[in-house]
Amino acid sequence: MNGTTTIAEFRDAVLDPAKRAHYRLAWLSTVDHKRIAVLYMLTALVFFVIAGVEALFMRLQLAIPNNHFLAPDTFNQLFTMHGTTMIFLVVMPVVFGLANYVLPLQIGARDMAFPRLNAFGFWCVPFGGILLHFSVLAGGAPAVGWFSYAPLSETPYSSSPGVDYWAVALFVLGIGSISFAINTIATVISLRGPGMTIRRLPLFTWINFVNAFIIIFALPVLNANLAMILVDRQLQGHFFLPIGGGSPVLWQHIFWAFGHPEVYIMALPAFAIVSEIIPVFSRKPIFGYEFVAASSVAIAVLSLGVWGHHMFTVGMGRPLDVFFAISSMLIAIPTGVKVLNWTATMIGGRIRFDVPMLFCIAFLIQFLVAGITGISHAVVPLDWQTKNSYFLVAHFHFVAVGAIVFAVIGGLQYWFPKMSGRMLSERLGKWTFWLMVIGFNMTFVIQHFLGLLGMPRRVYTYPDLPHWGWMNMVSTSGVFFMSAAALILVWNLATSFFRGKVAGDNPWDAWTLEWATTSPPPHENFVALPPIRSRRPLWDIANPDRPDPIVGENSTAVTLPNHNKIGILSFILSEAGFFAALILAYLYFYARPEAGPGPRELDVPRTLLFSVCLFASSFTFWRSEVALTKQRRGSILGWLALTILLGGIFLVGQGTEYWKLFQTGVDLSTNMFSTTFFTLTGFHGLHVLMGLIALLIFLWMAWEGDFVSSRFGSAFKSVGYFWHFVDVVWVFVLLTVYILPLIR
Amino acid sequence: MTTYQFFTTAWTWNSVVLAATALGCVGYFVIFGQRGRPVYFIAALAIFLLSFISPVNALANGYLFSAHMVQHILLVLVVPALLLLSLPPSFSVRSPLTHPVIGWIAGVGAMWLWHAPALCNAAATSGTVSAIQTTSLLLMGSIFWWQVLAPREEQRLSPPAGIIYLFTACTACSVLGIILTFAPVSICPVYQHPVDRLGILSTIRGDWGLTSDRDQQIGGLLMWVPMCAIYASAILAQLARWHSSPQPTQSNA
Repeated sequence: MNGTTTIAEFRDAVLDPAKRAHYRLAWLSTVDHKRIAVLYMLTALVFFVIAGVEALFMRLQLAIPNNHFLAPDTFNQLFTMHGTTMIFLVVMPVVFGLANYVLPLQIGARDMAFPRLNAFGFWCVPFGGILLHFSVLAGGAPAVGWFSYAPLSETPYSSSPGVDYWAVALFVLGIGSISFAINTIATVISLRGPGMTIRRLPLFTWINFVNAFIIIFALPVLNANLAMILVDRQLQGHFFLPIGGGSPVLWQHIFWAFGHPEVYIMALPAFAIVSEIIPVFSRKPIFGYEFVAASSVAIAVLSLGVWGHHMFTVGMGRPLDVFFAISSMLIAIPTGVKVLNWTATMIGGRIRFDVPMLFCIAFLIQFLVAGITGISHAVVPLDWQTKNSYFLVAHFHFVAVGAIVFAVIGGLQYWFPKMSGRMLSERLGKWTFWLMVIGFNMTFVIQHFLGLLGMPRRVYTYPDLPHWGWMNMVSTSGVFFMSAAALILVWNLATSFFRGKVAGDNPWDAWTLEWATTSPPPHENFVALPPIRSRRPLWDIANPDRPDPIVGENSTAVTLPNHNKIGILSFILSEAGFFAALILAYLYFYARPEAGPGPRELDVPRTLLFSVCLFASSFTFWRSEVALTKQRRGSILGWLALTILLGGIFLVGQGTEYWKLFQTGVDLSTNMFSTTFFTLTGFHGLHVLMGLIALLIFLWMAWEGDFVSSRFGSAFKSVGYFWHFVDVVWVFVLLTVYILPLIR
Repeated sequence: MTTYQFFTTAWTWNSVVLAATALGCVGYFVIFGQRGRPVYFIAALAIFLLSFISPVNALANGYLFSAHMVQHILLVLVVPALLLLSLPPSFSVRSPLTHPVIGWIAGVGAMWLWHAPALCNAAATSGTVSAIQTTSLLLMGSIFWWQVLAPREEQRLSPPAGIIYLFTACTACSVLGIILTFAPVSICPVYQHPVDRLGILSTIRGDWGLTSDRDQQIGGLLMWVPMCAIYASAILAQLARWHSSPQPTQSNA
């Protein structure tokens, strides 16, 4: 490009997909939600094969008693990698991919709200995956389980860098997941087509929308935990090491505060798929739309407060056991409501037993079993007996495979025609289905009984006790059926893509908007949207004489909220969760007296002075916003520069405080107080720094005169929200770290 | 004193509470007559009365933090909600207190403020402070619920806003519940070494197995789990309200 290119021309050349389509790297540089979705799913497929092979090796090792096929440490590494990969690199990417493809189509949008953030979110997956697997070359994969319990995951017990790669990889994947969730929320709120009110959303979209909120709340909690373990491992902190005053149980609490919602983050998209397929193949609208929609919200809310049932065997004490048992049982109600709705949808329907529906029926039955064994774990004394046995392994594989994987394969079979324009082979699909059903149940049904016979989980081999041998052999044999099913699935995907039957726009006679466009859809998704007055717009078109009842009021005239605003507010919500976890961890240790430096070393008056600067910067930023509405360049620049200056003063102040503490020999590794203090204030400082960089960019843009465009205004507001948020976080940090010790 | 003796004798016939109840009852029927929904009002009064005359009150008076928490939840969440439901559909209030931000702060503040150690102690030992606490809880609870349960539809938050309002309040209270549950120190030190006025302490600590640590844990868990269940039910009610809002009469797109 020569020097005379204007910014507008440059934008067109780089951002106009039509002009870029011929690039060899078009798929790598794509920001189209449909291509990103396909990339998500292909990546998941690659890791599915890897993690599947890992499982195969483990089952081979366990096929006979006293086996020496794998060394104990190798087994532990495979066991850790299998769990981590399946959860973070297979299930999450594949359900994100499906949502990424279908959700914008279902609401009549052109793309996701933030296409480039979407690409970023996707690329976090291969990046995280490579980081995780690089550990194999860097001294051995982590061998601590996907839950990475402290203190085993701490340096004294896991000295190779495996756990570090594990933690950094999950951190990256967490960021990618959160960015996907932010995108989903902003898309559903701001990009719905005319007539597509929230009450008319297809259940697939609604459930994925609700799911995005669980991601927003749960993943930052994991990231806070990962930050803490990395502080422990890299900077000699003490969070989870008892020897320095830390608490391994805290790791478990925070991990499961993420870990249980994570189960629903994976399961809700499966519910979403099933809620879409069952009505279409029963030729009936879903029974009790409102109940399916509301029970998803109930699951989301409850899922955040039941993590303790993962910890009954830790010895939390009777009160905690009782309350967590009750709250865990409560979740059975909304889940049961859903099962009832799906079943009732099928009753009286003209059911078509095509492959997607077969997978959903198997899902229903297997999910019921998973739910019942799940409820049994809410019964504390039973949990004590079965928690560390193969009964639990069987339970969560019924959830993860029997429910989630089955639903996902059903969803692939259902939407593949839309994505490729060609049908998957029904014949091969049925082979996959029956081999999966046989293999899955062979492998995992018997594990319930193995567990009840007392076989512990997480062991690399076992003695030749009565019945254990043949039961394990049966379990291992099932894996071969599942492997065959997986191979046939891959073969089916590959051959059908080139030679499959041409699908047409709406091969299943479905009713949601994605079937109103061509298969595959054009880049802009729709040429024109059909009128939307109910939850089944395509039914209304096909049956003009008996359309669905109109749902809610028509709000075509209403302007939807700005997507930048929704995006940044969702981001702030997730950041609030991150800081809440760090502040709670601070308080947890604050209350435990210990030797060495404490809050009394802190210089409160000086900190208050710097805090005033930070708070004042919120005011100056607001003045700058006011100046922007009046388009006064001088004032914008002046107030913005002052904001940056005040923020800079705050950082210098914090730096001085750190320096003074270092001078007196206090650093992060000194004791529990210093670990928590530096972690909490350090992460806040990093956020201030991030805000300052963003403000500097805006200062530069305003200097260049870009402030007249409307894009600038909305982006400027968004940065403002972030900046105010950073100040609000400091109010809480100030109260917790500096003011609280003065009161007591 | 045995458990049986305690539950049969420890009823507090507090004249102020009884007078307030009687006064409220008369006032309600004089002002609203048959226009209100008296079933809710009577339920509110019954729960109010029970929380003050039953043995729960005796336990909350310096013995058990968890009993105090039961009282606290009833007064801030259950009684005000029932009171608002009992109002006639035409009832309305014009006041700056009906702003959602004020409502949220009142609801969450009622939880946090009264569990500052000094205030919590004072309320558990002094009758005057306790009376102030009771009044303020009822008032703050009403201000909080007004956003969701105001008698007139147009004075309530829209269902999606209501869901956000309730969910964030639930989170803010859960955080306090989590802190109370896991705090290794006593948040309300009065309950650590109760003055044994009724001679029941050995039964509590022995027969019931409620050490002061466990007691505080249960208190925190009560604030965390059942309270969130109340908020979650309210969230579901908002969803139900959303989905049952009127259908349009005309059928044009």
